[in-house]
Amino acid sequence: MRAVDLFQWLGHTAIGLVIRHSKWGVALTEMVHLLALAALGGSILIVDLRLLGVGLRRQSALRVKREVAPIFWGSLFVILVSGVLILSTEPMKCYHSEAFRAKMLLLFLALLFHFTLHSKAVKAEPAIASVWSRSAGAFSLALWLGVGLAGRAIGFL
Amino acid sequence: MHLMQLCQWLYDSHFGTVIRESQFAFPLIESVHVLGIALLVGTVLLVDLRLLGVLMEEEPVSEVVSRVLPLTWCGFVVQVLSGVLLFWAKAAQYYENPAFRWKVALLLVAGLNPLVFHSTVYRGVSAWNEKHTTPIGAKIAGILSLTLWSGVIIAGRATAYFGK
Repeated sequence: MRAVDLFQWLGHTAIGLVIRHSKWGVALTEMVHLLALAALGGSILIVDLRLLGVGLRRQSALRVKREVAPIFWGSLFVILVSGVLILSTEPMKCYHSEAFRAKMLLLFLALLFHFTLHSKAVKAEPAIASVWSRSAGAFSLALWLGVGLAGRAIGFL
Repeated sequence: MHLMQLCQWLYDSHFGTVIRESQFAFPLIESVHVLGIALLVGTVLLVDLRLLGVLMEEEPVSEVVSRVLPLTWCGFVVQVLSGVLLFWAKAAQYYENPAFRWKVALLLVAGLNPLVFHSTVYRGVSAWNEKHTTPIGAKIAGILSLTLWSGVIIAGRATAYFGK
C-alpha cells in the first residue's frame, strides 16, 4: 500500500467524516491536541532543562525522567491519537503539505533521539550538565520545537 | 476613554497594523504563544500534580514549588508579551469575541488562585512537605489550577472560531 492510499483511506473512515462534519468536532479535537501538547511539553522540558542544569538540580536526570514518565506516555498517546483524528479530517491537504511532511519527519527524529542518545545521556551519572548532557538536552528541545513550529506552519503554508 | 475605543485605537495604530498584516510577524508571534503553553502550563501542571499527591511524591512539595515555579513564571512572561502583541494587532476583533473574553476572565482567576494558595494553605507546608498525602486545601488549589489553565487553553483555541 502506498502512502497516498493510506491517506485517502483515512479520509473515508467513519470517525474522520463524523468529526469533519460536526460543528465543533475539529475544534474539540484540536483542543485535546493542545492540552496534550501542554502536558507533553512540560514533561519534556523538565527533563531537558535538567540536562542543561536548570530546575530540579538536586535530583538526577534519570530520576526526574522516571517521575514524569506517566505524564510523558499519557500525553504522547493522546497527542498521537488526536493528531491522527485531525489528520483524518483533511488527509489530502496534509499529504501535500510541506509543513506536515516536515512535522512528521521531525517527530520521527525527535522520538528516535528520545529513545536512543537522549536516553543514554539521561542515564549517564553523575556529572551535572556535562557537555554531553547539555548537548542532548539542547538537541532534544530543538527537535521538539521544530515539531511544534512545523505543526503551526501547516495552517499557513 | 471607553474600552472599545482603546481597542480600536490599538487596532488602527501603525504598530498593530504592521504586526497584523505582516507575513511573518503575526504567525511567528502566534507560534511563540502556542509553544509557550508548554513552558507555562506544562510546568505548572507538574506542580499541581505534586499538590494533588499523584506525581513526584518522593520530592518535598517546597522543593518542587521553588524549583519548577520559576520556569512557570518565565512561561508567563513569554505568554503575556506574545499575547499583548497579538492582542494589539487584533484588539478591535478580540473585543467582541466571547471566547477571548472567557480566556481573559479565566486568566485572571488562574492568577488569583496561587496568590490565595500561597497566603493560606502553603503557609503551613512544613507540616506536610515530605508527605505523599497533601491537605485538602492543596488539592483544591491543584485542581483549580489545572481546570483554569485548561480553560484558558480551550478558550484560546476557541477564539479562532468566533473571529469575524
